[in-house]
Amino acid sequence: MTLHEALHEEWTDKLSDFLDDELTPEERYAVESHLQGCASCAAVLEELKQVVARARTLEGRPPRADLWPEIAARIDRNQEGARPGADVLPMRARAARRVTFTMPQLAAASLLIAAMSGGLVWSLRDRMVNRSAEASRSISSVESSRPTSPETSPMEREALAERPDVVPVALADAQYDAAVADLERALKQGRGRLDPATITIVEHNLQTIDEAIRQAREALVADPANTYLSGHLVEARRRKLDLLRRATALTSESD
Amino acid sequence: MALSGETLVRNGIESDVALAARGDSSAFERLYRTHVTRIHGLTRRMLGSHMADEVTQDIFVRTWQKLGQFRGESAFSTWLHRLALNVVIERRRAFAVQRGRMADDPSALDHVTVAPARADLRVDFEAAMEQLPVGAREIFVLHDVEGHKHREIAVLLGITSGTSKRQLHRARMLMRKHLGGL
Repeated sequence: MTLHEALHEEWTDKLSDFLDDELTPEERYAVESHLQGCASCAAVLEELKQVVARARTLEGRPPRADLWPEIAARIDRNQEGARPGADVLPMRARAARRVTFTMPQLAAASLLIAAMSGGLVWSLRDRMVNRSAEASRSISSVESSRPTSPETSPMEREALAERPDVVPVALADAQYDAAVADLERALKQGRGRLDPATITIVEHNLQTIDEAIRQAREALVADPANTYLSGHLVEARRRKLDLLRRATALTSESD
Repeated sequence: MALSGETLVRNGIESDVALAARGDSSAFERLYRTHVTRIHGLTRRMLGSHMADEVTQDIFVRTWQKLGQFRGESAFSTWLHRLALNVVIERRRAFAVQRGRMADDPSALDHVTVAPARADLRVDFEAAMEQLPVGAREIFVLHDVEGHKHREIAVLLGITSGTSKRQLHRARMLMRKHLGGL
């Protein structure tokens, strides 16, 4: 760094913010005043503008190799799911007495739930047990209580919605527990109408979710202010409720 | 009434999204071919050329799996971009340890060819971007190439807006020094 650069670093450090209109009016005025008398900093600003302009007009270029054959092969493989939405248990097969899933669907559902990684969204059905709907609203209200600023952009809100920085959640919730008990009872009564493979996969997934809930609760006892754990617990509980709803709905669909 | 070219393209994409969501892989291939250049550019610039192909494939496989969740509340391209960013951020986290071992050395830019020929400017600019220190590069790509705001970047990367601003300035200054002859 030259002596000139060192002397002007205080100003050049502000030039990107100046360019992006991120300075306060007072800071902006000070930079503008400096630029009027400093050809060097004015030149740096012009160069920064050129860098930004070049970045904004960058054209894409396709990959050198065609990636489609590999993608097509992967989406055809069983473990990747044979159709879109493979991470959602389908609600079809009304005609059959016994509800069955294809192995790819079962495998995809199992893997995804077992992994407990984000992004699992169940399609909700209208005919839910009233109490389970109440419990769901209770969980949603915890999530919707996340603080958001009116200035928050849609993308920020979306990103925040995916982040687990939720307010601490109660470890016990009588309404939720009652809804789960109702659904478990209904599932037990209707399990004879489900295909054995479906029962196996549902029970396996429930065990996995229960284990996740148990671990989150234990960890929250030790660290009640941990927002990640709170979010994890909320998500696991919601998944359990939704899985029970779906499975219960399937038993009635096969009537 | 005649439809504009843009409307026709949009309608075509919406139609392909609907078909692909019902399992039509040909429609999904059309969606892939329409969007692969932008998605591959994002992955290449964020993660480097060596990972771009693999992560792009992951993104489209994930897109296929999640098409049932697309509700049409935003444009498909917006939804896809968001999904792609999530995959990129996940991958970035997964490789955080390896990246921590990588040299975060601004002088790495000195290894990029100096004074490019006019026709090579675009390629050289991309090459210079790829040589930026990782933190600065990610923010340069998200802000100056992809057009995200500092607040959005802060949320995405789990950093403060101030850090995002500092890294952006660092990146621009490095790019300016290297590509002074723009």
